[in-house]
Order: sequence, then C-alpha cells, then structure tokens
Amino acid sequence: MWIIIYYIFCYLVFGYTMLLMFSYLYLVFMSHRAQGHISINIPDDETIKYFLKGSPLTPAVSIIAPAFNEEVTILDNVNSLMNIDYPNFEIIIVNDASTDRTMELLINEYKLVEVPYDIAMKVQSKPIKRVLKSTEEKYSKLVVVDKEHGGKKADGSNAGINVCSNKYFVCTDVDCIIEPMALYRMMWLVVNSHRPMIGVSATMLMSNGCIVEDGRVVEAAVPNTLVPMFQQLEYLRSFLISKLGWSSINALPNISGGFGLFDTDVAVKSGGYDPTSMAEDVDMLLRMVTYMKNTGQDFRLAQVPKVCCWTEGPGNVKTLCRQRIRWARGLFEIISNHRKLFFNPHYGPIGALVLPYIFVFEFIAPILELTGFLFMIWLIFTGGVNWDSAIILFGMIYIFSVFMSIFVIFFDYSAKAVEWHNRKISYLKLMLVTFLEPFFYHPIITYCSNMGYWQFISNQTSVWKPIQRRGVKKKK
Amino acid sequence: MSTVSIIKYYFNLFLAYSTYFFQYAINIFADYPAEIKVAVIVTVLCIILILIMFFALLALSHSEKKKKKLVQRFEKKFGPGMDYMLSDEAEKRMSKSEIAVVFGIDPENVGKEILKNKREKEAFIDVFYLRFITEKSDYANRDNITSLLYLFDVPNFLEKEVSLRSMRKKVRYMGMIRTFKLPISPWVINKLLSSKYLRVQRLAMYSNIMLSSDSDLDYFETDFFDKHCCIKDEIELAYSLQRRRNNGRKLPNLARWANLQKNESSQCMFVRLMRRFQELEYCEQLTELYKTQPRKKKLIEEISRTWGYLHYTEGERLLIDALLTQPDDTKVAIMHALTRFATGKALDALLEGFQNTTNPHVRFEALRCMYNYGRKGRALFRKLEKEAKESDKKFFDFFNNPITLDKIGLDKEQAYHPSVETVYNG
Repeated sequence: MWIIIYYIFCYLVFGYTMLLMFSYLYLVFMSHRAQGHISINIPDDETIKYFLKGSPLTPAVSIIAPAFNEEVTILDNVNSLMNIDYPNFEIIIVNDASTDRTMELLINEYKLVEVPYDIAMKVQSKPIKRVLKSTEEKYSKLVVVDKEHGGKKADGSNAGINVCSNKYFVCTDVDCIIEPMALYRMMWLVVNSHRPMIGVSATMLMSNGCIVEDGRVVEAAVPNTLVPMFQQLEYLRSFLISKLGWSSINALPNISGGFGLFDTDVAVKSGGYDPTSMAEDVDMLLRMVTYMKNTGQDFRLAQVPKVCCWTEGPGNVKTLCRQRIRWARGLFEIISNHRKLFFNPHYGPIGALVLPYIFVFEFIAPILELTGFLFMIWLIFTGGVNWDSAIILFGMIYIFSVFMSIFVIFFDYSAKAVEWHNRKISYLKLMLVTFLEPFFYHPIITYCSNMGYWQFISNQTSVWKPIQRRGVKKKK
Repeated sequence: MSTVSIIKYYFNLFLAYSTYFFQYAINIFADYPAEIKVAVIVTVLCIILILIMFFALLALSHSEKKKKKLVQRFEKKFGPGMDYMLSDEAEKRMSKSEIAVVFGIDPENVGKEILKNKREKEAFIDVFYLRFITEKSDYANRDNITSLLYLFDVPNFLEKEVSLRSMRKKVRYMGMIRTFKLPISPWVINKLLSSKYLRVQRLAMYSNIMLSSDSDLDYFETDFFDKHCCIKDEIELAYSLQRRRNNGRKLPNLARWANLQKNESSQCMFVRLMRRFQELEYCEQLTELYKTQPRKKKLIEEISRTWGYLHYTEGERLLIDALLTQPDDTKVAIMHALTRFATGKALDALLEGFQNTTNPHVRFEALRCMYNYGRKGRALFRKLEKEAKESDKKFFDFFNNPITLDKIGLDKEQAYHPSVETVYNG
C-alpha cells in the first residue's frame, strides 16, 4: 500500500514538474512573440516623443504618490516627479497625516496654499483635511492632499483617485525613481490600442547599485550584493517573461503598485484599492477585469517591455523575508477572495488560464517543494534514494532554471529593455547569480511562502513595516 | 571560401556534434526508466539552447559594436552637414551640388553611389533620423532635405526595404518615409494598403494623405474605421491634414466623413478634427447628425463643443432645446458651448441647468458658465451668490480663491480635453 502511495506521489510530482516546465516554455514563447509584436508597434523613444509631445490629443495623466513620514526624501522625490517628460500631467501627493516635517517642507518649498475643495468620495478613503496648490505657476502641476491617517498605501491611493481629474492615473510610491520617458512609453500603448486600455504595467527594477543624479538614474547597474542581485534577476524574469507573455493574450494578472497606469473611470467603478487587502494591486486589477466582463465591455491590458521605474528593494535576508511573507499572504488572500474567477471562462483568459496557473504553479509549488524536501530527508534516512536518478532529475531542474534565466538575459539584451551603464559587467553579474540562485535564493523564497501561508491560515495579525531604505548612490 | 559557406560548414559541424552528444547521452541511459530518459533529453536540449543563446549574445554584441563604430564615424563625417541643413542658414533652396559641398563630397560625384552598402545606408538614416525628429526640422527647408536624401539614395533604399522586407522593417522604414515626407511610388502604397497588417495599412494611408496633393482620400467615403479607430489614428490624421493645410491646400469635407462613418468613435474623431482645423463652413452639415443620432452621447458632446468653439450660433436653439434632456457630461459640454456663443439667449437655460440637477459637478459648471456669460451672466451669478443656501456656498468659494478663480475662465480650457489643472472635484 505504502509503495503504491509512494509511486503515485513520485509520478505526480514528476508530472507536475514537467507541466510547470512546459508552462514556462509557453510563457517564453509568448513573451518572445509579444516582444516581436511590440517592437513592430513601438518605435524608438524619440519617435514616440515626436508624435505625442506636439499633439493636443495626447491623453492627460495624473500621478498619484502617497507619502507618510518621508521628510528625508520628499523634496527630491517631488522634484524627480516634476522632471518627468510628458506634455500633460498633474502630480497628486497624498500626505497620510505624516508625523514628521513632510507637510511643512512641501508647503515651504512649493509655496502651497489651501484651495477650496468639494471632493466626492468616489472610492473609500479616510477623510481629506485640505487640498493645497502652489501660488507659483511653475508648480501648477502639483496638488497636495492632506488627509487623516489611513495607515495603508491603498488608502492614500484612493484619496488620490478621488482628487484625480484625468482619464488615466498612474499609481506610484513616492520614493520610486521614474524614467523620464516612462509616461510616453506607457501612453504609446494606450493611444495605439483599438480597444479601451484599462491598465498598463511598466517594467520595474531595483535601484540598489544604480547611480542617481537630480532624481534620475544616470548609471543603471546590477546591485553589488547578493540578495538584491537575485531579486534583480527575478524582477527581470517576472516582467519580461511572465507578465509580457500573459499580456500577449490580454491576461495580465497584476499591475505592480510601484508603477502602473489605470483607467480612472473603470478603477472607480470597481471600487478602487482595498485598504484591508495585503495585495491591493492584484485585487484591484481583478475587480476591474470582473467589472468589465460583467458589464460586457471589451478591454485591453498591456505590459511595457522597457524599464520605466526603479525602486529600492530589500537589501538583506531579514527584510526580504518580511516582504515575501507579506506577498505570500497576499496571494493566499487573492485566491480565497477571487475564487469565483478561477477556472471560469466567463472571465476570459484571466479566469480560464492565468488564475488556474497561479493557483497550480505559484500557490501550490512552495507547498509541494517543502513536502518534497521533507520526503527526501525521510528517504535519505531510510536509504530509499536512488542517487543516480535523483542527481539526473535535480540536474534537469537546475539546468532548466539556468536556461530560463539565461533566456531573460538574452531577451533583455536583444530587446534593450534596460540600458545598463556597463553592459558586460552587468550581464556577467546576472549570469553569475543565474547559477547560484537555485541553491541560495530559491529555498529562502520557498520558506517565506510557506510561512506566509501559515500566518494567513493561523490568522496571525500582520503589521506592515516599510522596507528600510539605504538610499541610492548619488553622483558626486 | 565565402561567408555563407563558412557559416554552413560550422552549422553542419554544430549539428553533427549535437546529434552525437544527444545520442551518446541517451545511450548511456538506455536501461533507465522513461522519466529519466525524458529528464536527460530535457537537460541536453536546455544545454544546447543555453549554448546557442550564449553564442547569439556574442554575435549580437559584435554586430552592435560594428554598427556603433559606423554611426560614430558618420556622426563625425556627416553630422556637421546635417546640422547645417536643419539650421536657419540653409533656408534658401540649394542645388544638389551645393548640398554635396556641405557634406564634403566632390560635386562631380553627385549622382553616383556615395554610401557603399546597406549597412552604411542604415547607419546614415539612423544618424539623420535622430536629428530630424526635433522641432528644428519643422523650420528647415523641406526641398533641401528631400534633395539631401536623394543625394544619398535614401528614398530608393527605403522604398525597396518597405516593399520587400519583414514586417518589422516595413513598419520601421515606412515610418521614416512618412516622417521625412518622402514621395513613394503608388504601387508600393497600394501593396501596403492591401496588407493584412493594420499598422502597415495605416502608415501607407497617412503617407498617401500627407503626400498626394490631389488625392480625394476616398478611404473615408466608406465606413473605413469600422471598429478599429484609436487615438493614434487621430494624431496621424491630424498631422497629415496639418501638412496639407501648410502646403496651402484646402482640407476635405470632414463633416461629410463624419456623416459617412457608422462607428461613434470615428464620427467623434472627424468632428474633433473639424474643431481643430476650425472648419466652420461645414458645421451646418453636423445638424443632421445631431438630430438623427441623439442617443450617441459622446457624439453630441463633441458636436456641441465644436459648435461652441467655432461660434456656430445657428446651432444655439438646438442646443438649448436639448440641454435638459441630455446626460450630465453632455449637459456640461452644451452649457460650455452656449457660454462661448454669449448671445444672451441662453441665460435662462443655464439657470435651469443649475436648478434642475442634483449633480454638484453640473451645478458648478452651470455657475461657471454664468460667471463667464458676459455682464448679464455675471449679474445673475452675483444674485445667486447672495441668495445661496448654506449647502451651495461651497461652490462660490471657488470663485473667491485667486488660484481656482484663475482657472475658471473657459479660455483656459483646452480644445481637446479638460484642463489638467483641477478646478472642481465634486
């Protein structure tokens, strides 16, 4: 009996692995196809600028950036946002009742004064105390919203959505460094779409290791320490293979909260961000898709294959674990809250394909890996391991994961997704971590995912702690 | 040995080695179970793919380096000449030999092939294209630019690439032809117009519109856009029409095109273009569209805005009659149009617009229109301000604050979309 169970388990895991690998290959194929299609449709940055800068038809965008106790960096960050190259945008900084000098600095620097407001609370957020604008014409793009403390980024973003006056809004973190061409790249997809574009995801990378001048990344580089280096590779894989691949069949499952563009009207009608959610960005996107499908409207979701935003990621294992545990809880929550979408063809490829994929290959994988690990230990102690077969199977998985990472490096190189300052060094570093990742980084992620699931099941309260920023290197 | 045969030789060698390695690996595991064989095959395939990608990376990097060097050389050699051609100094019409001198070419060589091969032509086009996509090019003498491109045989090269090459190159070079405003043979245009690929079709169409002086633009005589109309189409069409106008030609009847389309977004596009190019003489033709399709909310909005913007006062009665029957967003567009007419007849309608709704946004806009509606409108506004209920006082605060008051005037509003500077968020 035990032997039968043992064999069933082994073949099940083998079948699962082969299916997983096949799905990765499918994504590789799809992302390559999407890139080919996009490279036909997206010309170089200068051409995009030529078309959009001079045209009064270029859609206006609101950039929403919630801030809480950011006195150290707020002025640099707002200046960085002001320097974005786009003809028609407003910046909405939402102060979530900071207890430091954030508000004071903003008022003094930009000569802000209170203006009358009568904001309809289209989506749920804590009450707004005042709205401020600058008395100087050069800062007329800036709107500062001072609100009661909500404690979550989602609450601040919702307040920004309530104030926002444009058809599209971009949600970002106040400490993100945005590429000057980012809005052009995103809006190019919007103006070229024959179907209503409800969301555009931008490629986001780690700013650790980059050199920044006047709020802009002037020298893009791969981080020098291992933990951020692993994450850089992971981000590249996630944006350039996974998201780009899914976007080619209009089934993008997530638009990152760090930098994503949304249709304001659809976001409002879907209820905006949910401040109680651990994965508010995925949650909102799925609600937007649900709304569009339930009302019978056609829509489009797209991914920009070029880097648009830089963010500082966790610099050590402890912070990384905290972040990934939160993400795992978020994933569990999404799966339980949006279960009606799963395997439901009514919701198009997202319901029929992507969410089942996420459930089977992203949600279950860490559990299966942990089980497999424990099973392996038991087999070692009972002498039940066929070492030749084990090494061959392990070799296959290892080589396959290296193949995936090398593919993304190749993809990045040929599509010029990132303009690395020193390409040789950057690619060499990325190749190096490719070989180390399965041994060092992957086990940590598996551990964190299982911890996150456990915390969600055991209903442990989670306190969101922001990542400790070390700051980016500034050019001397 | 030629390069092709060298490549063939190495490719065959690579194939032979991989097959050998593959067979060797499988033979070793001949007695193992199926899953192990599968694992071995997957591993070997992955290793081969990794190696291919690695070598492709090296090859890519090598060819890029070569191209970069060539571009740098051309920057040095032709850059100053290109800058001169885009400067004010080259405002006068120049002959081909004069242009050749600017580029350091012996005038005797005019008519001969200056750029030797495809790679050089590509590099030259890239260098010039990046210079060309600046505001400077708008003021440059276009005839000189065309002569310059002919001197380097660019138009023939681009046309050949467009008619023969892959879709990616077709789009890239077609874009360049369109940007440089280069003439293109009708058979290439026709070939591209019948392409299955939408973007190529569009590029061909806009190039044709931009270049042909006598074309009747019969694309729009049918329901051309069907469901495939996007903002980019409008931007492209606007550029093409602008170019026609700059060349002193009359624009086609946009209102007629609007009438011929079935799709609402296409209709709106042509109405907006009328507004942009201030085609007042065709406004009357929109009346029928206005009367027959009252349920197309976006279309009614655009027609109202266009009439208002172009001061087509004959439409005022229609707008006043429709004001209270339309949805809120359309009401706002109609009120703005009536305010722009400022004939004095619409004051009652604006007052009704303020009183007959609970939507704060519409109420605010009605007040804003009264405020901007001449002396009588301002007087009515002041009266309402005095008599305002407590709940309505918030509206009047916007008219007393210098920052928001600055944006209250309708002249601040852009013709195409509302100003990004928020006045009222209710």
